[in-house]
Amino acid sequence: MTKSARRILWVVAAVVAVVFLVVGSTRTSGPRTQQDRIDAISKRLACPTCQGESIYVSRAPAAESVRAEIARQVSSAQRTDDEIIAYIEDRFGSSVLLVPRSDGLDAVIWILPVTLGILGVAGLGFLFVRWRREQVSTDTSSPSRRRVVVVAGLVIVAVGVGWFVANSAGQRLPGQSSSGGIEDSTASLLSQARQLNFSDPQQSIELYSQVLELNPDNVEALTYRSWLVALVAREAADDVKLLAVATSLEGLQRAIEIDPRYADAHCFMGIVKFRFAGDAQGARDALDVCEANDPPAEVAGFVDSIRAEVDAALGE
Amino acid sequence: MSESRKVAPKVALVATILAVAFIVVLVIASPESQTDADSPLLGNPAPAVVTTTIEDETFDLARRKGSWVVLNFFNSTCVPCRAEHPELLAFADAQAKSAQPAELYTVINDDSDGAVKAYFDEHGGSWPKLRDDNGTIAVAFGVARVPETWIVDPNGFVRLRIAGKLTEGLLDEQLAMLQGQS
Repeated sequence: MTKSARRILWVVAAVVAVVFLVVGSTRTSGPRTQQDRIDAISKRLACPTCQGESIYVSRAPAAESVRAEIARQVSSAQRTDDEIIAYIEDRFGSSVLLVPRSDGLDAVIWILPVTLGILGVAGLGFLFVRWRREQVSTDTSSPSRRRVVVVAGLVIVAVGVGWFVANSAGQRLPGQSSSGGIEDSTASLLSQARQLNFSDPQQSIELYSQVLELNPDNVEALTYRSWLVALVAREAADDVKLLAVATSLEGLQRAIEIDPRYADAHCFMGIVKFRFAGDAQGARDALDVCEANDPPAEVAGFVDSIRAEVDAALGE
Repeated sequence: MSESRKVAPKVALVATILAVAFIVVLVIASPESQTDADSPLLGNPAPAVVTTTIEDETFDLARRKGSWVVLNFFNSTCVPCRAEHPELLAFADAQAKSAQPAELYTVINDDSDGAVKAYFDEHGGSWPKLRDDNGTIAVAFGVARVPETWIVDPNGFVRLRIAGKLTEGLLDEQLAMLQGQS
Protein backbone atom coordinates (compact mmCIF):
# COMPACT_ATOMS: atom_id res chain seq x y z
CA MET A 1 0.00 0.00 0.00
CA THR A 2 1.34 3.41 -0.94
CA LYS A 3 1.92 6.17 1.57
CA SER A 4 -0.93 8.32 0.19
CA ALA A 5 -3.37 5.38 0.28
CA ARG A 6 -2.53 4.80 3.94
CA ARG A 7 -3.19 8.46 4.69
CA ILE A 8 -6.58 8.27 2.98
CA LEU A 9 -7.45 5.21 5.07
CA TRP A 10 -6.53 7.05 8.27
CA VAL A 11 -8.67 10.03 7.28
CA VAL A 12 -11.63 7.76 6.45
CA ALA A 13 -11.26 5.96 9.79
CA ALA A 14 -11.17 9.27 11.65
CA VAL A 15 -14.29 10.56 9.85
CA VAL A 16 -16.20 7.34 10.60
CA ALA A 17 -15.21 7.55 14.27
CA VAL A 18 -16.35 11.17 14.54
CA VAL A 19 -19.67 10.40 12.83
CA PHE A 20 -20.35 7.52 15.23
CA LEU A 21 -19.50 9.70 18.22
CA VAL A 22 -21.75 12.55 17.07
CA VAL A 23 -24.68 10.26 16.25
CA GLY A 24 -24.26 8.31 19.47
CA SER A 25 -24.16 11.40 21.65
CA THR A 26 -27.06 13.25 20.04
CA ARG A 27 -29.64 10.60 19.17
CA THR A 28 -32.75 10.37 21.29
CA SER A 29 -34.77 7.28 22.03
CA GLY A 30 -38.15 8.99 22.09
CA PRO A 31 -40.29 10.08 25.05
CA ARG A 32 -39.71 8.30 28.35
CA THR A 33 -42.34 6.99 30.72
CA GLN A 34 -42.22 7.77 34.44
CA GLN A 35 -40.96 4.24 35.07
CA ASP A 36 -38.16 4.82 32.53
CA ARG A 37 -37.12 7.89 34.47
CA ILE A 38 -37.28 6.09 37.82
CA ASP A 39 -35.18 3.23 36.45
CA ALA A 40 -32.65 5.56 34.85
CA ILE A 41 -32.20 7.58 38.05
CA SER A 42 -32.06 4.44 40.21
CA LYS A 43 -29.27 3.04 38.06
CA ARG A 44 -27.18 6.18 38.62
CA LEU A 45 -27.36 6.01 42.43
CA ALA A 46 -25.67 3.59 44.81
CA CYS A 47 -27.54 1.91 47.63
CA PRO A 48 -26.36 3.79 50.77
CA THR A 49 -26.08 0.63 52.87
CA CYS A 50 -24.77 -1.91 50.35
CA GLN A 51 -21.45 -2.52 48.67
CA GLY A 52 -21.43 -2.08 44.92
CA GLU A 53 -25.17 -2.23 44.33
CA SER A 54 -27.28 0.39 42.68
CA ILE A 55 -30.62 1.55 44.01
CA TYR A 56 -32.08 -0.13 40.94
CA VAL A 57 -31.00 -3.65 41.91
CA SER A 58 -30.83 -3.43 45.70
CA ARG A 59 -33.68 -4.60 47.90
CA ALA A 60 -32.23 -3.14 51.10
CA PRO A 61 -34.71 -1.00 53.09
CA ALA A 62 -32.66 2.16 52.54
CA ALA A 63 -32.60 1.53 48.80
CA GLU A 64 -36.35 0.91 48.81
CA SER A 65 -36.86 4.24 50.60
CA VAL A 66 -34.70 6.11 48.12
CA ARG A 67 -36.47 4.43 45.20
CA ALA A 68 -39.84 5.41 46.68
CA GLU A 69 -38.64 9.00 47.03
CA ILE A 70 -37.43 9.00 43.41
CA ALA A 71 -40.84 7.69 42.32
CA ARG A 72 -42.58 10.37 44.38
CA GLN A 73 -40.49 13.16 42.90
CA VAL A 74 -40.82 11.83 39.35
CA SER A 75 -44.61 11.62 39.68
CA SER A 76 -44.78 15.16 41.07
CA ALA A 77 -42.91 16.31 37.92
CA GLN A 78 -41.26 19.19 39.74
CA ARG A 79 -37.64 18.15 39.32
CA THR A 80 -35.49 16.95 36.44
CA ASP A 81 -33.52 13.71 36.70
CA ASP A 82 -30.36 15.63 37.56
CA GLU A 83 -32.19 17.65 40.21
CA ILE A 84 -33.55 14.49 41.83
CA ILE A 85 -30.06 13.01 41.89
CA ALA A 86 -28.75 16.25 43.41
CA TYR A 87 -31.49 16.03 46.09
CA ILE A 88 -30.38 12.52 47.06
CA GLU A 89 -26.71 13.53 46.95
CA ASP A 90 -27.42 16.54 49.19
CA ARG A 91 -28.72 14.13 51.83
CA PHE A 92 -26.49 11.09 51.57
CA GLY A 93 -23.29 12.69 50.24
CA SER A 94 -21.42 12.20 46.99
CA SER A 95 -20.67 8.55 47.72
CA VAL A 96 -24.12 7.64 46.38
CA LEU A 97 -23.18 8.82 42.90
CA LEU A 98 -22.40 5.83 40.69
CA VAL A 99 -21.69 8.08 37.73
CA PRO A 100 -19.31 10.87 38.73
CA ARG A 101 -20.25 14.40 37.80
CA SER A 102 -18.62 15.95 34.74
CA ASP A 103 -17.76 19.18 36.55
CA GLY A 104 -15.49 20.14 39.41
CA LEU A 105 -12.91 17.67 40.70
CA ASP A 106 -14.98 14.74 39.45
CA ALA A 107 -14.33 15.85 35.87
CA VAL A 108 -10.80 14.54 36.35
CA ILE A 109 -12.12 10.99 36.30
CA TRP A 110 -13.40 11.56 32.77
CA ILE A 111 -10.45 13.55 31.49
CA LEU A 112 -7.57 11.67 33.06
CA PRO A 113 -8.02 8.25 31.41
CA VAL A 114 -8.17 9.87 27.98
CA THR A 115 -5.14 12.03 28.74
CA LEU A 116 -3.21 9.09 30.16
CA GLY A 117 -4.14 6.95 27.17
CA ILE A 118 -2.89 9.55 24.72
CA LEU A 119 0.29 10.14 26.71
CA GLY A 120 0.86 6.40 27.12
CA VAL A 121 0.49 5.66 23.42
CA ALA A 122 2.67 8.64 22.53
CA GLY A 123 5.30 7.60 25.08
CA LEU A 124 5.38 3.99 23.94
CA GLY A 125 5.53 5.07 20.30
CA PHE A 126 8.43 7.36 21.11
CA LEU A 127 10.26 4.58 22.94
CA PHE A 128 9.73 2.02 20.21
CA VAL A 129 10.99 4.44 17.57
CA ARG A 130 14.03 5.19 19.65
CA TRP A 131 14.74 1.52 20.33
CA ARG A 132 14.46 0.71 16.64
CA ARG A 133 16.94 3.45 15.80
CA GLU A 134 19.30 2.28 18.49
CA GLN A 135 19.04 -1.31 17.32
CA VAL A 136 20.00 -0.22 13.82
CA SER A 137 22.93 1.91 14.95
CA THR A 138 24.31 -0.35 17.70
CA ASP A 139 24.70 -4.03 18.17
CA THR A 140 23.12 -4.64 21.53
CA SER A 141 22.98 -8.12 22.90
CA SER A 142 19.78 -7.90 25.03
CA PRO A 143 17.63 -4.74 25.17
CA SER A 144 14.47 -6.68 26.13
CA ARG A 145 15.06 -6.49 29.88
CA ARG A 146 15.21 -2.70 29.88
CA ARG A 147 12.11 -2.54 27.69
CA VAL A 148 10.20 -4.71 30.12
CA VAL A 149 11.26 -2.55 33.05
CA VAL A 150 10.28 0.70 31.32
CA VAL A 151 6.93 -0.62 30.09
CA ALA A 152 6.14 -2.15 33.48
CA GLY A 153 6.97 1.16 35.14
CA LEU A 154 4.62 3.05 32.83
CA VAL A 155 1.82 0.55 33.35
CA ILE A 156 2.15 0.61 37.15
CA VAL A 157 2.21 4.42 37.26
CA ALA A 158 -0.88 4.57 35.05
CA VAL A 159 -2.70 1.99 37.17
CA GLY A 160 -1.69 3.76 40.39
CA VAL A 161 -2.90 7.16 39.20
CA GLY A 162 -6.10 5.64 37.83
CA TRP A 163 -6.78 3.89 41.12
CA PHE A 164 -6.19 7.09 43.04
CA VAL A 165 -8.61 9.03 40.87
CA ALA A 166 -11.23 6.28 41.00
CA ASN A 167 -11.01 6.18 44.79
CA SER A 168 -11.02 9.90 45.40
CA ALA A 169 -13.26 11.46 42.76
CA GLY A 170 -16.97 11.08 43.36
CA GLN A 171 -16.48 9.94 46.96
CA ARG A 172 -16.15 13.15 48.85
CA LEU A 173 -17.27 12.90 52.42
CA PRO A 174 -20.70 14.17 53.37
CA GLY A 175 -20.47 17.87 54.11
CA GLN A 176 -18.03 18.49 51.29
CA SER A 177 -20.73 18.51 48.65
CA SER A 178 -20.22 21.21 46.05
CA SER A 179 -23.55 20.79 44.34
CA GLY A 180 -26.47 23.10 44.66
CA GLY A 181 -27.20 23.09 48.37
CA ILE A 182 -30.66 22.70 49.81
CA GLU A 183 -33.28 23.87 47.37
CA ASP A 184 -35.86 25.40 49.56
CA SER A 185 -35.69 29.15 49.50
CA THR A 186 -38.81 29.59 51.62
CA ALA A 187 -37.49 27.38 54.40
CA SER A 188 -34.15 29.15 54.22
CA LEU A 189 -35.72 32.63 54.39
CA LEU A 190 -37.94 31.60 57.29
CA SER A 191 -35.03 30.21 59.26
CA GLN A 192 -32.94 33.32 58.59
CA ALA A 193 -35.83 35.54 59.62
CA ARG A 194 -36.30 33.65 62.87
CA GLN A 195 -32.69 34.13 63.77
CA LEU A 196 -33.18 37.89 63.48
CA ASN A 197 -36.51 38.12 65.34
CA PHE A 198 -34.97 39.80 68.37
CA SER A 199 -31.61 41.09 67.15
CA ASP A 200 -32.83 42.85 64.00
CA PRO A 201 -36.65 42.81 63.82
CA GLN A 202 -36.76 45.23 60.87
CA GLN A 203 -34.64 42.91 58.76
CA SER A 204 -36.65 39.97 60.00
CA ILE A 205 -39.89 41.66 58.88
CA GLU A 206 -38.29 42.20 55.48
CA LEU A 207 -37.42 38.51 55.18
CA TYR A 208 -40.92 37.43 56.22
CA SER A 209 -42.28 39.80 53.60
CA GLN A 210 -40.11 38.11 50.98
CA VAL A 211 -41.59 34.76 52.01
CA LEU A 212 -45.10 36.19 51.68
CA GLU A 213 -44.28 37.42 48.20
CA LEU A 214 -43.43 33.82 47.29
CA ASN A 215 -46.30 32.34 49.25
CA PRO A 216 -48.95 34.80 50.51
CA ASP A 217 -50.55 32.07 52.66
CA ASN A 218 -47.43 31.12 54.57
CA VAL A 219 -48.77 30.97 58.10
CA GLU A 220 -45.43 31.20 59.87
CA ALA A 221 -44.41 34.33 57.95
CA LEU A 222 -47.82 35.93 58.48
CA THR A 223 -47.76 35.21 62.20
CA TYR A 224 -44.24 36.33 62.97
CA ARG A 225 -44.31 39.39 60.72
CA SER A 226 -47.53 40.48 62.40
CA TRP A 227 -46.08 39.99 65.86
CA LEU A 228 -42.88 41.86 65.00
CA VAL A 229 -44.84 44.75 63.47
CA ALA A 230 -46.57 45.20 66.83
CA LEU A 231 -43.30 44.88 68.73
CA VAL A 232 -41.33 47.43 66.71
CA ALA A 233 -44.18 49.95 66.97
CA ARG A 234 -44.01 50.01 70.77
CA GLU A 235 -41.90 53.14 70.83
CA ALA A 236 -43.68 54.85 67.96
CA ALA A 237 -46.17 57.70 68.13
CA ASP A 238 -49.72 56.78 69.13
CA ASP A 239 -51.21 56.99 65.65
CA VAL A 240 -48.44 54.83 64.20
CA LYS A 241 -48.80 52.39 67.07
CA LEU A 242 -52.56 52.11 66.53
CA LEU A 243 -52.07 51.43 62.85
CA ALA A 244 -49.34 48.87 63.58
CA VAL A 245 -51.51 47.03 66.12
CA ALA A 246 -54.46 46.95 63.74
CA THR A 247 -52.21 45.61 60.98
CA SER A 248 -50.74 43.06 63.37
CA LEU A 249 -54.13 41.78 64.55
CA GLU A 250 -55.36 41.60 60.98
CA GLY A 251 -52.32 39.51 59.94
CA LEU A 252 -52.68 37.19 62.93
CA GLN A 253 -56.38 36.71 62.23
CA ARG A 254 -55.57 35.79 58.65
CA ALA A 255 -52.98 33.27 59.85
CA ILE A 256 -55.55 31.71 62.19
CA GLU A 257 -58.09 31.47 59.38
CA ILE A 258 -55.54 29.68 57.17
CA ASP A 259 -54.43 27.26 59.88
CA PRO A 260 -56.64 27.32 62.98
CA ARG A 261 -54.37 24.75 64.70
CA TYR A 262 -51.20 26.84 64.48
CA ALA A 263 -50.61 27.58 68.16
CA ASP A 264 -48.15 30.46 67.62
CA ALA A 265 -50.74 32.62 65.86
CA HIS A 266 -53.20 32.26 68.76
CA CYS A 267 -50.45 32.92 71.29
CA PHE A 268 -49.30 36.14 69.64
CA MET A 269 -52.90 37.18 69.11
CA GLY A 270 -53.36 36.92 72.88
CA ILE A 271 -50.14 38.82 73.61
CA VAL A 272 -50.86 41.62 71.13
CA LYS A 273 -54.45 41.97 72.32
CA PHE A 274 -53.37 42.26 75.94
CA ARG A 275 -50.17 44.28 75.64
CA PHE A 276 -51.06 46.63 72.80
CA ALA A 277 -54.85 46.67 72.50
CA GLY A 278 -55.84 46.46 76.18
CA ASP A 279 -58.27 43.61 75.48
CA ALA A 280 -57.81 41.21 78.42
CA GLN A 281 -60.83 39.05 77.65
CA GLY A 282 -59.88 38.66 73.99
CA ALA A 283 -56.34 37.92 75.10
CA ARG A 284 -57.44 35.17 77.47
CA ASP A 285 -59.59 33.49 74.81
CA ALA A 286 -56.67 33.49 72.42
CA LEU A 287 -54.23 32.22 75.02
CA ASP A 288 -56.59 29.36 75.89
CA VAL A 289 -56.63 28.23 72.26
CA CYS A 290 -52.88 28.73 72.10
CA GLU A 291 -52.23 26.41 75.02
CA ALA A 292 -54.69 23.83 73.72
CA ASN A 293 -52.62 23.55 70.56
CA ASP A 294 -49.32 22.76 72.29
CA PRO A 295 -47.11 25.77 71.48
CA PRO A 296 -43.34 25.29 71.18
CA ALA A 297 -41.21 25.98 74.25
CA GLU A 298 -40.17 29.52 73.34
CA VAL A 299 -43.72 30.69 72.67
CA ALA A 300 -45.06 28.81 75.68
CA GLY A 301 -42.56 30.79 77.75
CA PHE A 302 -44.00 34.08 76.45
CA VAL A 303 -47.52 32.90 77.29
CA ASP A 304 -46.55 31.77 80.79
CA SER A 305 -45.10 35.18 81.50
CA ILE A 306 -48.29 37.01 80.55
CA ARG A 307 -50.96 34.59 81.75
CA ALA A 308 -51.01 35.77 85.38
CA GLU A 309 -51.27 39.41 84.29
CA VAL A 310 -54.22 38.63 82.04
CA ASP A 311 -56.01 36.77 84.83
CA ALA A 312 -55.31 39.63 87.24
CA ALA A 313 -56.69 42.15 84.77
CA LEU A 314 -59.89 40.12 84.59
CA GLY A 315 -60.07 40.11 88.37
CA GLU A 316 -59.33 36.40 88.83
CA MET B 1 25.71 2.41 25.93
CA SER B 2 24.14 5.88 25.45
CA GLU B 3 23.40 8.17 28.41
CA SER B 4 19.64 8.03 27.86
CA ARG B 5 19.63 4.23 27.89
CA LYS B 6 21.35 4.29 31.28
CA VAL B 7 18.80 6.75 32.73
CA ALA B 8 15.58 5.17 31.44
CA PRO B 9 15.58 2.09 33.71
CA LYS B 10 16.35 4.25 36.75
CA VAL B 11 13.45 6.54 35.95
CA ALA B 12 11.18 3.54 35.51
CA LEU B 13 12.39 2.08 38.81
CA VAL B 14 11.73 5.33 40.72
CA ALA B 15 8.29 5.65 39.13
CA THR B 16 7.50 2.05 40.03
CA ILE B 17 8.55 2.54 43.66
CA LEU B 18 6.48 5.75 43.93
CA ALA B 19 3.43 4.08 42.41
CA VAL B 20 3.71 1.06 44.69
CA ALA B 21 4.16 3.28 47.76
CA PHE B 22 1.13 5.32 46.73
CA ILE B 23 -1.00 2.23 46.31
CA VAL B 24 0.13 0.89 49.69
CA VAL B 25 -0.90 4.17 51.35
CA LEU B 26 -4.31 3.97 49.71
CA VAL B 27 -4.80 0.39 50.82
CA ILE B 28 -3.78 0.86 54.46
CA ALA B 29 -5.43 4.26 54.93
CA SER B 30 -8.27 4.26 57.48
CA PRO B 31 -11.67 3.91 55.89
CA GLU B 32 -14.42 6.43 56.54
CA SER B 33 -15.88 5.96 60.00
CA GLN B 34 -19.28 4.30 60.11
CA THR B 35 -20.28 6.69 62.84
CA ASP B 36 -19.30 9.76 60.89
CA ALA B 37 -21.75 12.38 62.07
CA ASP B 38 -21.19 14.79 59.23
CA SER B 39 -24.03 15.67 56.89
CA PRO B 40 -24.66 18.21 54.13
CA LEU B 41 -27.77 19.20 56.08
CA LEU B 42 -25.87 20.53 59.10
CA GLY B 43 -26.30 24.28 59.37
CA ASN B 44 -29.12 24.24 56.83
CA PRO B 45 -32.87 24.50 57.39
CA ALA B 46 -34.33 21.14 58.35
CA PRO B 47 -36.21 19.27 55.64
CA ALA B 48 -39.97 19.52 55.69
CA VAL B 49 -41.49 16.82 57.88
CA VAL B 50 -45.25 16.55 57.77
CA THR B 51 -46.66 13.28 59.00
CA THR B 52 -48.82 11.70 61.68
CA THR B 53 -48.06 9.99 64.96
CA ILE B 54 -49.13 6.43 65.63
CA GLU B 55 -51.98 8.00 67.61
CA ASP B 56 -53.03 9.72 64.36
CA GLU B 57 -52.10 13.21 65.57
CA THR B 58 -50.72 15.47 62.86
CA PHE B 59 -47.09 16.53 63.10
CA ASP B 60 -45.36 19.33 61.21
CA LEU B 61 -41.73 20.00 62.09
CA ALA B 62 -42.05 23.60 60.91
CA ARG B 63 -44.69 24.13 63.60
CA ARG B 64 -42.22 23.13 66.30
CA LYS B 65 -39.96 26.12 65.68
CA GLY B 66 -39.33 27.77 69.00
CA SER B 67 -38.43 24.42 70.55
CA TRP B 68 -35.31 22.32 70.35
CA VAL B 69 -36.40 19.18 68.54
CA VAL B 70 -34.69 15.79 68.77
CA LEU B 71 -35.57 13.21 66.12
CA ASN B 72 -34.55 9.63 66.83
CA PHE B 73 -34.82 7.22 63.90
CA PHE B 74 -35.83 3.85 65.27
CA ASN B 75 -36.72 0.29 64.38
CA SER B 76 -37.96 -2.10 67.04
CA THR B 77 -35.89 -5.01 65.67
CA CYS B 78 -32.64 -3.04 65.49
CA VAL B 79 -30.27 -4.09 68.26
CA PRO B 80 -28.46 -0.74 68.73
CA CYS B 81 -31.86 1.02 68.77
CA ARG B 82 -32.97 -1.19 71.62
CA ALA B 83 -29.63 -0.81 73.35
CA GLU B 84 -29.83 2.98 73.37
CA HIS B 85 -33.41 3.08 74.64
CA PRO B 86 -32.42 3.59 78.31
CA GLU B 87 -30.43 6.66 77.20
CA LEU B 88 -33.50 8.09 75.51
CA LEU B 89 -35.62 7.42 78.59
CA ALA B 90 -33.07 9.22 80.76
CA PHE B 91 -32.89 12.07 78.27
CA ALA B 92 -36.68 12.45 78.20
CA ASP B 93 -36.81 12.49 82.00
CA ALA B 94 -34.09 15.12 82.19
CA GLN B 95 -35.81 17.28 79.59
CA ALA B 96 -39.10 17.12 81.46
CA LYS B 97 -37.35 18.82 84.38
CA SER B 98 -35.43 21.29 82.21
CA ALA B 99 -36.22 25.00 81.99
CA GLN B 100 -35.69 24.81 78.24
CA PRO B 101 -37.03 21.35 77.42
CA ALA B 102 -36.31 19.79 74.06
CA GLU B 103 -39.05 17.85 72.31
CA LEU B 104 -38.16 14.22 71.59
CA TYR B 105 -39.75 12.32 68.72
CA THR B 106 -39.21 8.79 67.48
CA VAL B 107 -39.27 8.44 63.70
CA ILE B 108 -40.36 4.92 62.81
CA ASN B 109 -38.02 3.44 60.23
CA ASP B 110 -39.26 0.48 58.17
CA ASP B 111 -41.38 -0.87 61.00
CA SER B 112 -45.05 -1.28 61.84
CA ASP B 113 -47.09 0.87 64.22
CA GLY B 114 -48.02 -2.23 66.19
CA ALA B 115 -44.45 -3.40 66.72
CA VAL B 116 -43.32 0.05 67.81
CA LYS B 117 -46.27 0.50 70.12
CA ALA B 118 -45.67 -2.91 71.69
CA TYR B 119 -41.99 -2.09 72.21
CA PHE B 120 -42.71 1.23 73.91
CA ASP B 121 -45.51 -0.27 76.01
CA GLU B 122 -43.03 -2.80 77.32
CA HIS B 123 -39.95 -0.60 77.69
CA GLY B 124 -41.44 2.83 78.39
CA GLY B 125 -41.21 6.13 76.56
CA SER B 126 -44.27 8.33 76.18
CA TRP B 127 -42.95 10.75 73.59
CA PRO B 128 -44.66 10.86 70.16
CA LYS B 129 -43.78 8.26 67.52
CA LEU B 130 -43.89 9.56 63.97
CA ARG B 131 -44.85 7.46 60.97
CA ASP B 132 -42.46 7.55 58.03
CA ASP B 133 -44.33 5.85 55.22
CA ASN B 134 -42.04 4.93 52.32
CA GLY B 135 -39.07 6.31 54.24
CA THR B 136 -39.65 9.87 53.06
CA ILE B 137 -38.36 11.41 56.27
CA ALA B 138 -35.35 9.08 56.38
CA VAL B 139 -34.39 10.00 52.82
CA ALA B 140 -34.95 13.70 53.49
CA PHE B 141 -32.42 13.47 56.34
CA GLY B 142 -30.12 11.04 54.54
CA VAL B 143 -30.63 8.29 57.09
CA ALA B 144 -29.50 4.95 55.70
CA ARG B 145 -29.10 2.96 58.91
CA VAL B 146 -30.78 3.25 62.29
CA PRO B 147 -30.39 4.38 64.94
CA GLU B 148 -29.67 7.98 64.11
CA THR B 149 -30.44 11.01 66.20
CA TRP B 150 -30.77 14.56 64.91
CA ILE B 151 -31.12 17.87 66.70
CA VAL B 152 -32.98 20.79 65.13
CA ASP B 153 -32.69 24.18 66.81
CA PRO B 154 -35.59 26.55 67.60
CA ASN B 155 -34.91 28.47 64.37
CA GLY B 156 -35.41 25.32 62.33
CA PHE B 157 -31.74 24.69 61.50
CA VAL B 158 -30.24 21.21 61.64
CA ARG B 159 -27.54 21.40 64.29
CA LEU B 160 -26.37 17.86 65.03
CA ARG B 161 -26.43 14.35 63.66
CA ILE B 162 -25.46 11.38 65.79
CA ALA B 163 -25.08 8.22 63.71
CA GLY B 164 -25.26 4.97 65.61
CA LYS B 165 -26.04 4.09 69.20
CA LEU B 166 -26.19 6.86 71.78
CA THR B 167 -23.70 6.52 74.57
CA GLU B 168 -24.48 7.47 78.16
CA GLY B 169 -25.13 11.18 78.53
CA LEU B 170 -24.08 11.99 74.96
CA LEU B 171 -27.37 13.49 73.89
CA ASP B 172 -27.72 15.65 77.02
CA GLU B 173 -24.15 16.91 76.64
CA GLN B 174 -24.50 17.73 72.97
CA LEU B 175 -27.83 19.47 73.45
CA ALA B 176 -26.54 21.50 76.38
CA MET B 177 -23.53 22.51 74.31
CA LEU B 178 -25.70 23.61 71.41
CA GLN B 179 -28.07 25.49 73.69
CA GLY B 180 -25.09 27.21 75.24
CA GLN B 181 -23.90 28.36 71.82
CA SER B 182 -27.28 29.85 70.92
